[in-house]
Parts: sequence; structure tokens; C-alpha cells
Amino acid sequence: MALLRASQKALRLLLCAWGLATSAAAGAEVAASEYAVKAAFLYNFTKFVDWPPRVFTDERSPLKICVLGADPFGKALRSFMDEEVGGRRLQLLRVDTLNNPAACHVLFVSRSERDRLPQILAAVRGAPVLTVADTPEFLDDGGMVNFVLEGGKVRFEIDPEAAERSGIRISSKLLALARHVKGRP
Amino acid sequence: MPLRNVPIRQKLMLIALVTTGGTLLFAGAALIFFNAERFRQEMKVDLTTLAQIVAQNSTAALSFRDRTAAAETLHALSARQPIVAAGLYEKNGRLLAGYQRRPGVKLPPRPARDGVDFGADGLVVFHPVELKGERIGTVYLRSDLSELTARIEVQALTVGTVFLASGLAALLLSSRLQRLVSRPILDLSQTARAVSERQDYSLRAAKRGGDELGQLVDAFNQMLGQIQQRDSALQEAKEELERRVEERTRELARRNEELHQSNKELDDFAYIASHDLKEPLRGIHNFSNFLLEDYADKLDDEGRSKLETLGRLSRRMETLIDSLLQFSRLGRVDLAMDRVDLNEIVAGVLDSLAITLQEEKVEVRIPKPLPKVRADRARVGEIFANLIVNAVKYNDKPQKRVEIGMKNGSLSAGSPVFYVRDNGIGIPEKHHDAVFRIFKRLHGRDKFGGGTGAGLTIVKKIVERHHGRIWLESSPGGGTTFYFTLQEET
Repeated sequence: MALLRASQKALRLLLCAWGLATSAAAGAEVAASEYAVKAAFLYNFTKFVDWPPRVFTDERSPLKICVLGADPFGKALRSFMDEEVGGRRLQLLRVDTLNNPAACHVLFVSRSERDRLPQILAAVRGAPVLTVADTPEFLDDGGMVNFVLEGGKVRFEIDPEAAERSGIRISSKLLALARHVKGRP
Repeated sequence: MPLRNVPIRQKLMLIALVTTGGTLLFAGAALIFFNAERFRQEMKVDLTTLAQIVAQNSTAALSFRDRTAAAETLHALSARQPIVAAGLYEKNGRLLAGYQRRPGVKLPPRPARDGVDFGADGLVVFHPVELKGERIGTVYLRSDLSELTARIEVQALTVGTVFLASGLAALLLSSRLQRLVSRPILDLSQTARAVSERQDYSLRAAKRGGDELGQLVDAFNQMLGQIQQRDSALQEAKEELERRVEERTRELARRNEELHQSNKELDDFAYIASHDLKEPLRGIHNFSNFLLEDYADKLDDEGRSKLETLGRLSRRMETLIDSLLQFSRLGRVDLAMDRVDLNEIVAGVLDSLAITLQEEKVEVRIPKPLPKVRADRARVGEIFANLIVNAVKYNDKPQKRVEIGMKNGSLSAGSPVFYVRDNGIGIPEKHHDAVFRIFKRLHGRDKFGGGTGAGLTIVKKIVERHHGRIWLESSPGGGTTFYFTLQEET
């Protein structure tokens, strides 16, 4: 048994090493592939998140994903817009100012808006909008989901209470995958 | 031993055991088979359910391609002993994470078609992982058959135990219950054997119930009753017959004794009477002679002639009495039986008759020598003498012939039959019996030389005292043949 564990550990280390090596070799493509993964994650988040029904006008009304600030995804996010989640089409919106942030269901705040974070988050506070970003202090500022890089791999951390306060329920399955869940050890 | 010769008791038990055993075996096998089949279905459902749970718990890990989370989810399966391998495949078929109970267990490189099925290495399920109506991957689970095998073993053991126990119970029960059928049959068979061995028709088979066997016993007993009745009727008839025969025999013996007695009395009477008659008769004869001699000169011719007639008649009466005496003596004295040569006797008789035979010019023939027989020498001589004298006396032929002999082949076939044949005058058939009567004469007193008429009666008496028989063949003018035997005919 000990031997088995040891070998599993060795395997895992080996895989990590391989992952690092490939990411190092990929070099220039890292940023692009990183945001491709993040785009997929963003898309997948919608499957593990429940919005209060009132945010949709009807059964078929689209699920709106808004990107605030400079769009780092390129085509990666757009490629998911043909998909449907729970019978709803995905709709990608680019927003610069937050006139009506409650019109979005998912709000990705780009790094370009890093300085305005408190204002942005304040604007959507209380509205059922899943806020996502990839800035380290995002959760502390009141954000809900934040991407982190761990060993070159895209991971995320979640503040489920922040989500609940605005009426959004995040699936425990998603929480189980999070690197860090705020409020939990 | 062939099955049909096995005793009925064992046959009945065999039937019970084979029936019970066969039924139990079939029921047991069916039970095991259907239970195993049901358990296989349950296993399928269970594994599918488990795959469904794993799929539910793997949606996030698959969505975010989190190998660690996927491996952890799969590792939870280690609590389920029969799961030997598990895998999570992404939508594109790549293996995201796997689980092996033992090292060396291989996972399929790519998922196969969805479904659950028994394969060579156990029960395998490929189950879709869906999220929000979209397929995002596949769960693979493989369970070994240890539970199924264990279950079948336990059931086989249970069925085997039940089989043995109920076999034992069936043996005990059938060994008791078979008596219901076999006992009456055995009883019947024993009774039948006893009846035929001892010829005792008063035996009865015991009846134990009103079923077909009971009816058989009744019928058997009825048959025995009928046989018994007939047997006793037969026995009675036989006894009655014996009783009657005995009665008749006694009656016959009594009558015989009476007859014998009266015969003897008659003989005694004849002897005494004739003996006592002789004395006064001699007196009459003597005195008639005295009269003739002493008073001849005083009598005329007529007187003398009457006296002579008186003398002649008295002489004649004396001869008659002598014959009667001789005859009655024959019935009184015992025969002196001896082995005698008949040739010798006949020769003696012919010697004593030699003068008569010469005078009458008689030709005597004896074609074959005569045998030796057991008889009374003197009496047999009398037979031949009387018959030869008669043969000569009643003969009017110029050449008289007498033949003495024995009928052909009569020696070998029982009693010998002797005969005396003449070429005399013959006897009409109606007189054939009368010739043997005493003092019976067929002709005038002085014809054919006279005589008392007792000769043949005496001959008949002698023959009968020898337990023989006498008879004759004759016709007028055709001569006469007298036949006789000297011993009881067989």
C-alpha cells in the first residue's frame, strides 16, 4: 500500500513536471491558451450556478455573459456562444461602463479594470450577477469567483457567501473543485 | 437384480425417493438458476445506479478536467469491494482518471458503447455523464463476480442441505407409508402361499381397508370360501361313498356267510340223510334177496319178478345215495393241493378205463403234452375220468374219438384252459346249463348205458372248489367240447 501511494505520488510529480515543461516550452502561447481555458471555465461555471428565476424574462431568454474592460479572450469565448446551457442560448456582451450591470448574468471583470474594482462591485452588489475576475484581490473586494494560476494550471477560488447575498447559488460540486473557498479552512 | 424382481416394498420406497429427489433436484436447480439470474439483474441495476452516482459526482471534475477531483471521486469506490476498476472519460474519449483495486488491472483505452453487460472479466458498465442535458463524458465501472459466485455457493449449499434432509425425511416417511400398500399385498401373497402349501382352504387374508386392495382381499377370500365349500362337499361325498361301499361290503359278507352257512347245513343234511338212508336201504335189499333165495319155490313167476324189481330199485337207490354222498363230501372236505403233472393223471385215468376204451374202440388223442398245475390230484383225476366217460358214453359214432388238450396260448395269458372234446351226439344249446344239475338226465334211464346223472355236477363242484370255471360248446350231432380252468382267472 505504501509502495502504491509512493508510486502514485511519483506519478503525480511526474505529471506536474511534464505540465511545467510543456507550459515553459509553449512560451508565447501560454497567454492565449490560458485564456482559452479560462473561457471554457467561464462557460462551465454557468452549468454549476443557479440564478433566481426572476432574472430571466422567460424559459428561452438567453444567458448573458458580459466582459467588462479589455477583452482578453479573443475568439475563445465567442466559440462557446453556439452552445446552450439548460435550454438557454449564451449571449456575449462587451460593456465598458456599468450602466445596467444587472442586465448581465455573468460579469467578467478584465484586469484592465483592476483599479475600478470596488466601484464596479458596488454597482452590482445585491444584483444576481456572478462576478468573475482574474485579479488576486478580487474576492477581498467582494467578488465571487476568481481565477488563479497554480503550477501553470488554471484554477479558481470562490466566495460562496458573496454569491448567496446576491441571490446566486453556486453548486457544491463547483466548490469542491475550487482551490480556495472563502470562509472555509 | 432387474427392477421388476425387486420386492414391492423396496419398489414403493424407490418410487417415493426418486419422485421426491427428482422434484427437489429440479426445484433446487430452478431456484438457484432463477435466483442467480435475478441477482445478475440486480447487479446490473446496482452497478448502473453506482455509475449514475459517480457520473453525478464527476460532472464538475469532467467539466473542469480536474484529474485530482476525478480520481478522488473514483477512489470513493474502494469502499465497494466488488468494484475492481473504474474510469472517467472525457467527451472526446480521453481517460481523465482511473481507479484500480489491484495494480495490473487494465482500463479500456477508450469508452465503449453505453450499457451494462456481463463480460469475460465481470460486469462492465459504460454510463454517460450528462450536465444540463449535455453529454460531457463517460463513467466506466467493472465489478467482479465474487458476490454472484458466493451467493450461488450459499444457495447450492442450502439446496443441498434441504435435499439431503428431505431425502432422509422421505426415506423415513416412505418406509412407513409404503406399508399402507405393501402390507395387504404381502399378507395376500403369504396367505396364498400358505393355502397352496398346506391345502388349507379355511385360511383367510386379513382386510385392511376398502380400497382396491381391500376389494382384492375380499375377492380372494370369497374364492377361498367357494373352494372350501366345494372341497368339503367333495370330502363329504367321498366319505359317503366309502361308507356306502363299506356297508355294501358288510352286507355282502353277511349274505355270503349266510349262504355259506345254509350251504353247509344243506351239505350236512344231505350227508346225514343219505348216510342214514343207506342202512335201511341195505336191509330192504338184503331182505328182498333173502326172500328170493329162501322162498323161491313158494313164489310164482310174477312174485319173483316183482322181488327182482324191488332189488333192482333198491340198488339203484343206493347208487343215487352214493352219488349224493360223494357230492356232499366234496363240499365238506379240504382239497389236498399239490403240484401235479396232468399228463400223469390223464395217463392213470386212461389206464383205469382201458378195457372200456378197447371195447368201444375209442381213439384218444393228446395233441400236446399237458402242463403241471397246482391241484388236488385225486379230484382232478375224477374230472378227467367223468368227462372221458361221458365222451365215450354219449357217442353213437362207429369211430369214437376223444381229444384231451389245452387251449392254444392259454398258458401265457393267465389261467390255462383245458378241454375234453368228443365227436358224440352233442347237446342242444337250451340244455347247456341243465347238464350240470344233479340227477339231471337228458335221456331215458337205460339209454347210453344209464347213470345217476351226478357226474357233471361233481365235475362242476370240483372245478369250483379249485376256483375255476367250466363251460361247454356243443350242438346236436356236432360233438361236444367241455372247457375248464383250475385256478382263479386273472
